Order: sequence, then C-alpha cells, then structure tokens
Amino acid sequence: MATRDLVLSALFAAIIVALGLVPPIMLGFIPVPITAQSLGVMLAGVVLGAKRGTISVLLVLVLAAIGLPVLSGGRGGLAVFMAPTTGYLIGWVFAALTTGYLSQLLVSHSQAGFVQTVNFFVAALFGGVIVLYICGISYLALVTGLGFSKAFMGSLAFIPGDVLKAVIAALAGRAVMVGYPLLPQRA
Amino acid sequence: MDIHFEKVEVRFDGRTVIHPLDLTISGRRVGIIGLNGSGKTTLARMINGLVKPSSGQVTVNGFDTVTNEDEARGQSGFIFQNPQNQIILPLLREDIALGLKSRKLPKPEVTAAVDAILDRFGIRHLGDRRAHELSGGELQLAALASVLVTEPKILVMDEPTNQLDLKNRNLVEKTIHTLPEDVIVISHDLDLVAGLDRVLLVHEGRIATDGKPGEVIGQYRAMHGATA
Amino acid sequence: MRSLHINGDSVLHRLPAAVKLAALAVISLVLFMIDNAGFLASAALAGLAGHALLRISAAEIWRRMRPFALIVVAVALFTVTFNGTAEGLTAFFRLAALALFASLVTATTTTGDFIDVITRAAMPLERLGILKARDVGLSIGLVIRFVPEILSRYEVIRDAHYARGLKPRPVSLIVPLIITTLQSADEIAAAIDARGIRSQK
Repeated sequence: MATRDLVLSALFAAIIVALGLVPPIMLGFIPVPITAQSLGVMLAGVVLGAKRGTISVLLVLVLAAIGLPVLSGGRGGLAVFMAPTTGYLIGWVFAALTTGYLSQLLVSHSQAGFVQTVNFFVAALFGGVIVLYICGISYLALVTGLGFSKAFMGSLAFIPGDVLKAVIAALAGRAVMVGYPLLPQRA
Repeated sequence: MDIHFEKVEVRFDGRTVIHPLDLTISGRRVGIIGLNGSGKTTLARMINGLVKPSSGQVTVNGFDTVTNEDEARGQSGFIFQNPQNQIILPLLREDIALGLKSRKLPKPEVTAAVDAILDRFGIRHLGDRRAHELSGGELQLAALASVLVTEPKILVMDEPTNQLDLKNRNLVEKTIHTLPEDVIVISHDLDLVAGLDRVLLVHEGRIATDGKPGEVIGQYRAMHGATA
Repeated sequence: MRSLHINGDSVLHRLPAAVKLAALAVISLVLFMIDNAGFLASAALAGLAGHALLRISAAEIWRRMRPFALIVVAVALFTVTFNGTAEGLTAFFRLAALALFASLVTATTTTGDFIDVITRAAMPLERLGILKARDVGLSIGLVIRFVPEILSRYEVIRDAHYARGLKPRPVSLIVPLIITTLQSADEIAAAIDARGIRSQK
C-alpha cells in the first residue's frame, strides 16, 4: 500500500474517533441528536472508497479492541466485542466496504452534482443502513437468542436516524469530492 | 555535500514545473528563494527523492535518487513547512525512535540514541510530551531531532521560520548556523537567507541567479519591484 | 486519549497478552455453549471478583462497566418480556460475564503489548504479501497522534461558524473538517517517506 493511502486511512480513522468525542450535533428540524460515529463510517466509504474506507474502519475497531476509549460515549476495550450490539461494530467494516464499493461504481466526475449526491445516498443507504442492520440484527438475534423478528423490532427505532445520516453522508461526500477529490481511487 | 542535477526536468500532468536544468550544489549552507509556485520546493524535494525527475538524473553524494533510492534518501533529512505534520507518533520519544526502527537496533541502543539527540537540542524534557502540546519553536526542534537521529549528512529545510514568532525564528537561525550538517534552506525570510554561503533564485521553473546572498537577494528585490 | 489500561503488578498483568487473548476466546466460547443460568451467574461473579486484582474502587469498576450495563440490561429486559424470565436471566448473566472478562484483559494489558501481539499476528499476512506487519503499529500511532489535532480543527471550524453568525450544521462542519484533515495527508506521507520509516532495511 502506498504511504499516502496508509496515511489517508489513518487520518480518516482519527476523524471517526473525533466524531465520537464531539458533542452530538442537533439537527434543527427534529430534536434528535446525531451521534456522528456511524456517520463517519458512511463518510469513510463515500470519501475514501472501498479499500481505504474499510481499512480506516478496521483501524478504529483495532484501537477499541486494544483498550482505547475511541467509540462514542468513551467506550472501548474488548468488552465492546463481547456485547449484544457487537454485530453493529463488525457491521461497520462491511458498511464501509459496501458504501465505498458502490460509491466507486456509481459516482463519476462527469455526472451532474445532483446525480452524484443521489448516487452517494444510494451507496450510503445500502452500505451504512441495510448492510449494517443485517449484520447488527443477525448478531443480536443469534447471541441473545431473541430471534430475528424481535431483534428487528428492537432495532427499528434507530433506522430513521441512520437514513438521515445517509443523506448527510451523501451531501458531505459530494462536497468533499468537489473540494478534494479522492475518488475514483488512483491505483 | 555533493548534489548533481543532470538534464533534470519535472512535469506534472503535462505542465513543466522544472525546465531542463544542470546544477551542482556543494558547500555548507545554501539558500533557495523564489516566488510561491516558482518550483523551489519541487527542486528541494528532488534531493530527498520525494519528487522524481521526469527525465535526467539527480545524485546525492554519488547515489542516484531513482536507482539507489534508499541510500540517496539516507544522505539527507527533510524538514517540512509544517512540522505539525512531521511528528507522526503521539510521544516525541516514540516518534524519534521510529526512524531508527528500520535499522533493527537493539532497544537500549535506540533509547541511547534518542536521549542523545534530545540532549543535543536541549529538549530531553519534551521527550514524554505529546506532539500536539508543543509550541511552534519546540515543534521545530522536535522535527530536527526526529530527522537528524538517523544521521543524514545533509539537511533540507522548507520554510523553517514560517509562522514562528521572532524569538523562535532567531532560535532556528542560530540552529542553522551551528548545525554540523550541511544545510539547504528554502525560505521567504530574506534576512535568514542573507547569512548563508550561497543562494539560488528560482523563477518559473528555472534557476534565474546563483551566487552570493547579497547579489541574488538584490536581484530578487529588483525583479519584483521593491525599490525601497 | 487515555487508555483503559490500569497500571499494576497482578498475575493478570504479568501474563503475556497473547495468552490472555487466547483465554478470553476460550472463555467466551464456553459461555456461549453452556445455557445453565447458575453456571453463567457464577462466571459473571468470577469476572467481577477478578476486578479485585486491579485494586480499583467499586465506583471505578462501575464507571468502567456502565456503558455495557445499559445495553445488557436492555437486552435482558427485552428477552424477559418476549421469551420469559428464565431466558432473560440466562442472557443477562452470559452478557455480563462476557463484558467483565473482556474488561479484565483490557485493564491488564498495555497498548504497546497489544500492538506487539497484533504485529506478530500479522506476520503470516505479510508473508502472503497482503500487508506489512509494521504498518499496523505505525497506523495505530498515527490515529492516536492525530485525534487531538482533528478535535482542535473541529473547534476552529465551529467557532468560525459562530464568528460569522452561522448555526453549525452537520454538513458545513464535517466537510471542511474532512478536507483540511485529508489535505495534510500528503505532507505526512512525504514525511514518512523522507525519513525512510517504511523502507525494508
């Protein structure tokens, strides 16, 4: 891997960690605080693409595993990998991978700005919401013995917020692409 | 130092940044001045092999930066414009040791070398501090220590006094004059450059003038309308 | 960023990190295979008792476990509601035991030891040409190094909003944060290359 790709992945991992430490950003029109860390995972995919985005998310998980409080709310340590919600953490890896892959596949510089934003949204929604919830719910269902339908019901409340994050990721992803293009990934 | 540029040309995305150039840099302390975007940083980065010539060759103390990259790179250290981005591990001590790690030295030797370089710049007390807590002047000294610990013979500094207050700027100037290593300084700080042995003026990708600081700086001022 | 490691000289502190990690893997497997609530309760108790080795106060233990307590209790209550009390208790003790044992390994292992284990574990991947094992430690160091930098950048960007009378919005905060941060990647990468940190020799 080129040194620049390694540094980009590490810096984005640092951004994801930082997003877990800043106070929640309130959205004006609904009183829901946006905990920005899973937004960071979608952003890793849309900004860096599949390979570097996945590496940056893996780095965050490694840091958490080795006992650094890098997850939102100051969580960290091996216990986060032994919790009912661990599936969502593992899901981050596949979320970034899918979001990044779809972003590279769907978005190109020749498209109109609106089309780029919509395509980024599709990528973030598919990777950062659908794939993420499949991982999170399956794990929750299997580990707790709750069963899929009940695990799904328990997770339902969080989905609207995450769809909103996909919108933010798409808008931000397109703006970053205009300001500092990293996609399509250079070999 | 003994640096040779032979028929060196650099092109980025079809744009010529350095026009074909033959140049020998020797002596103890050499300055490079010129406008923003004139090509002076590109020129300096070639010495460390960070930029490779599109054609021609660069040799540093006899080592070609393309065919003998690691050896050529080992001849020189590079201090970047923003030392903030140069310290790459959290603790200064860890960061300095990192440059030695690729040499596979035993741990006690690494510790001794780190202590020695910290002492050389009088910053042993900063060794266990976190990089983001250091002041501008401390960061410059830390960057120097992290680069010089691998004992390069030449030091290239890109705008070392940029954004420093007067006290820290003077500290850097004094350091440049007391370093046993040969130094190449890129700078807009004409007072700093005036104290060096030789100065190159880079203009639009070419060496416009090359000589004693007084003459070169005089021409630089004349070219850009400074009459006062 | 302070690690969750706690200084000490207990048996657990002195065990090699790789042994602790392997033991944790075995323990978690056992906890998942056995469904007996009594066994799981004693396991959770053992995990809690292990924290005595750390010589920290009960309040400190609670502070460390609180983020997990919430999730564990929520899942347990959910299970009680839908699958009955017995299953709820089983889930509660299993999840509590897992979190407690994991927390013990975290508290007794330094970041440096973890990085060494990961680097060694990555050696087979290096032989396959997938990655350079030493890059793992370098990357981890880079992240820890740049988190405070990024946080102060975030504050500058937020203050710039206030200074111009703008309300900070997610997109207008995040976009400049990402762009300014990633722009420094070129120089950081050049610094790593210039110092020959990733060269093979």
